Amino acid sequence: MAGAPVEALRRVPLFADLDGEELQQVALLFKRRTFAQGETVMREGTDGAAFFLIETGEASVSVAGTARANLRAGDHFGEIALIDEGVRSATITAVTDLDCYGLTYWEFRPLLLANGAIGMKLLQSLAQKLRSAEAS
Amino acid sequence: MVPVRAAGGCFGIAGCEMIALDDDERIRMTDTAAAPELHFEAPGPGSYELDPVHFPRPLTRYWTEVHPAAFAAGTADFARYYGMLMGGLRMSYVNGFGYKSVAPPPEQEIPQRFARAEEVFAGKLWREQLREWDETAKPTAIAKHRELQAVDPDALSDDELQAYLRRCRDHHAAMITQHMRFTASAVVPTGDFLAHLSDWTDVPPAELLSLMRGASPVSAGASAELERLVAALRADPAGQELLASTGDAGSVLAELRTREGETGEAVSAYLDLVGNRPLDGFDISEPSALELPDALLRAIRTAVAGDVAADDVEERIAAVRAQVPEEHRDEFDELLGEARLMYRLRDERGVYSDVWASGIMRRATLGAGRRLAAAGRIHQPAHLLDAGLDEMCDLLAGAEAPSAEELAARAAYRAAHSAKDAPATLGPPAPPPPDASGLPPGIARLMRGTGVALGALFGSSEAEHEEHLLRGLAASPGVYEGTARLVSGPTEFERIVQGDVLVTMSTTEAFNILLPLLGGIVTDSGGLLSHSAIVAREYGIPGVVGTRQGTELIADGARVRVDGTAGEVTVLA
Amino acid sequence: MTGVLPLREVADTSVFGSKAVGLGEAVRAGLPVPDGFALSGSTVEEVAAGDEATVESVTSTVRPLGGPLAVRSSAVDEDGADASFAGQHLTLLNVPTVDALPAALGEIWWSANSDSAISYRKRVGLFTRPSVAVVVQRLLDPDTAGVMFTRNPVTGADERMIEASLGLGEAVVAGLVIPDSYRLDRETNVLESRPGLKRIAIRRREGGGTFEEEVPAAAVERPCLSEDDLAALGELATRCEDVYGPGRDIEWAIADGTLYLLQCRAVTR
Repeated sequence: MAGAPVEALRRVPLFADLDGEELQQVALLFKRRTFAQGETVMREGTDGAAFFLIETGEASVSVAGTARANLRAGDHFGEIALIDEGVRSATITAVTDLDCYGLTYWEFRPLLLANGAIGMKLLQSLAQKLRSAEAS
Repeated sequence: MVPVRAAGGCFGIAGCEMIALDDDERIRMTDTAAAPELHFEAPGPGSYELDPVHFPRPLTRYWTEVHPAAFAAGTADFARYYGMLMGGLRMSYVNGFGYKSVAPPPEQEIPQRFARAEEVFAGKLWREQLREWDETAKPTAIAKHRELQAVDPDALSDDELQAYLRRCRDHHAAMITQHMRFTASAVVPTGDFLAHLSDWTDVPPAELLSLMRGASPVSAGASAELERLVAALRADPAGQELLASTGDAGSVLAELRTREGETGEAVSAYLDLVGNRPLDGFDISEPSALELPDALLRAIRTAVAGDVAADDVEERIAAVRAQVPEEHRDEFDELLGEARLMYRLRDERGVYSDVWASGIMRRATLGAGRRLAAAGRIHQPAHLLDAGLDEMCDLLAGAEAPSAEELAARAAYRAAHSAKDAPATLGPPAPPPPDASGLPPGIARLMRGTGVALGALFGSSEAEHEEHLLRGLAASPGVYEGTARLVSGPTEFERIVQGDVLVTMSTTEAFNILLPLLGGIVTDSGGLLSHSAIVAREYGIPGVVGTRQGTELIADGARVRVDGTAGEVTVLA
Repeated sequence: MTGVLPLREVADTSVFGSKAVGLGEAVRAGLPVPDGFALSGSTVEEVAAGDEATVESVTSTVRPLGGPLAVRSSAVDEDGADASFAGQHLTLLNVPTVDALPAALGEIWWSANSDSAISYRKRVGLFTRPSVAVVVQRLLDPDTAGVMFTRNPVTGADERMIEASLGLGEAVVAGLVIPDSYRLDRETNVLESRPGLKRIAIRRREGGGTFEEEVPAAAVERPCLSEDDLAALGELATRCEDVYGPGRDIEWAIADGTLYLLQCRAVTR
């Protein structure tokens, strides 16, 4: 089966406003990627190319050495990379073996340009993150 | 985490933290590197000698505040115990560099000292210290380390964290004193042995010291935990394959740690023992073993593979004994026996005392550092290592304290300087030691043995300035002088600073990103057609490969000359 | 399916990358290259994405190779001299069966699209998306393997420089051992020979992957190549030069008495 399972995407708030067909389109762009327990999934400060959705497993998030909340099945991370290959703002480590679906900037960008709804959702999600970062 | 100076634009070093330097920071760091002359003045009357062997780089403020009093107390203790003609040793810090001086003995105690020195050899008083170490000091210290290590700094409130930092610091100070208390016991019997042998034979000190091999498993990193780990892995073939697998060192260690059964338990126990210790050095700025998984994994692999050369020591002892005049051979046996008995104390007194305590203090400091960095009070968690203890607590309490920039500048200063930047002595030259011939025999013997030992064991200034030459394959022509940086894998890449000489066992393509920073490459293995040789040539930097023992013989931070045309690497100091 | 070709037919570097094309040329010239296939960059991407049709097509085409397999990336846009510091090329030795191949291709695709690979590409001025083609061959179980340059890389002299060790050639390429070293002239006379210190050999592990095996003490410093081996290597050097020209960087392996060519590219330095 190509891409990510559509049900996995349905849970993601970022894609919440997409209709069935749009969801299918997006789902097809994903590729499965696994990480071993203990592996560093991404490191703060490096340029990032991929956005990931966790299918199974758990990952820890840390910023400047401080642990933040852990991520679990259904959570996602790395969305800044969908807009540009910006610098990673957090370090993410696989706490258990991790099963993910990932998408790079180059796959996502045409979709972003073609589909305003996805873009809007992404902006809302980022705005939300900005607010909580400023508040803490 | 020290800011890495980059050539030109911001270098993305894959797998490492990197600060995006703005122009001001970059300029400021360059200024520090091209330092206006540092001003050095003797801290007081008397003679001061730089100690680049123990302290090759400037120390943190924390260290310079904790160390002197603790060090003085410990050395005064051993001087009294052994009836030595000094009040103890002193360490003073000038511009962060460590200088040693000798305190004169309290005059009223001199007669007691003479008497005591006589007793030292007659009563083999070092054995009492060994007993004290084994029965009380060491187990008590280990229990305390574990107690402090069990606390999770992240789970403490700000107030509790301040109290915890103070506890760790007090423990660290006590451990520094303990380390020094037991110093002479490690030195006196060995020095006594060396002194006698130099009267009887021409065997060089280095060879005599090699007769101690097997007497100190701790210096090879051994311990009951490591033995258990080695036994577990040797009985676990699948575990050994896991150990040998190529791949991310952090993941391999994580897998080993969580492996079912004895192997997993043994690995966990071992990591709990050594994880919080600096791999090299004493200061809280030195990374701990768990922060360097590549190096840690290699150490475990080496231990499991077994010690190849342990076993000819008996033969070599016999060979040296044969060179001793017959009438002294019984004495030879006795002196060697005492030296071997005490030799392990030389490493144990550090590893189980202040080395471990330093790692614990580092861990606590980084915990506080993370909290302060998240609050935006400092730029990087590791910058807190450059604060004194009171400053750390002030920062946590929100009181007046150094700024984030000030701490960052201190870290940059330490990274940019080494003992080469400091004068070898301050103040007037040291007076020669008193003429032993006029002294009672016990104290003369003590002084002689101590003098010999300090020269041979701890690297006197003559030994430091000796040039050590290594040969390998001339892989890429040119000559370059710079600071050696021992890096065993990607987790250590951030330690490389512009102009360093990479010293490593071998390289892979993952090392390519370091190339713009390097002035030269030195490897243990590899041929002229290996990756390291090819990239050195492509990049046009001097390279010597296949040195066999480069990573063992070149100290991290040492100044080296790499001659890629001749295939030679010289350790300058 | 044009995205999967036997090496013999591979000629387009923009589709299959220079490593694959180099091997294709070698096969066509009759050089002893282990059997294999090249997979185009888009084929690798489709397999990584899980496209069932492509996965089926790839596995059925490659199945006759049997197993185990060596899977090497052949970068499509890091062309030119293929300088060693140009990129991070993932090689997966010992993919145990063709059924494990799709997952291996996924790993390779991701390694080319990883944060560090992308970071690195940007640092060296490559801003386009990466495309990684792949070469899949039978994995050998060599007795000895290593590297040969048809020119002395340090002095530039017209010699064959050979470095050899036990097991897979990775040990020599990655500098994990001090290899046995030979310098030969064009007539395969030995100008210099120096035994190395070959403490480990990279061997394939049951079930996939490789491991470092300790070499028995007696073999560590014993020369691992015979005169016949050296003669065969000398001949291979000449044949490669005839096909490609001077200054070749050759990876070779000897398994079951047969000398194989694993890679032949221009000496960069």
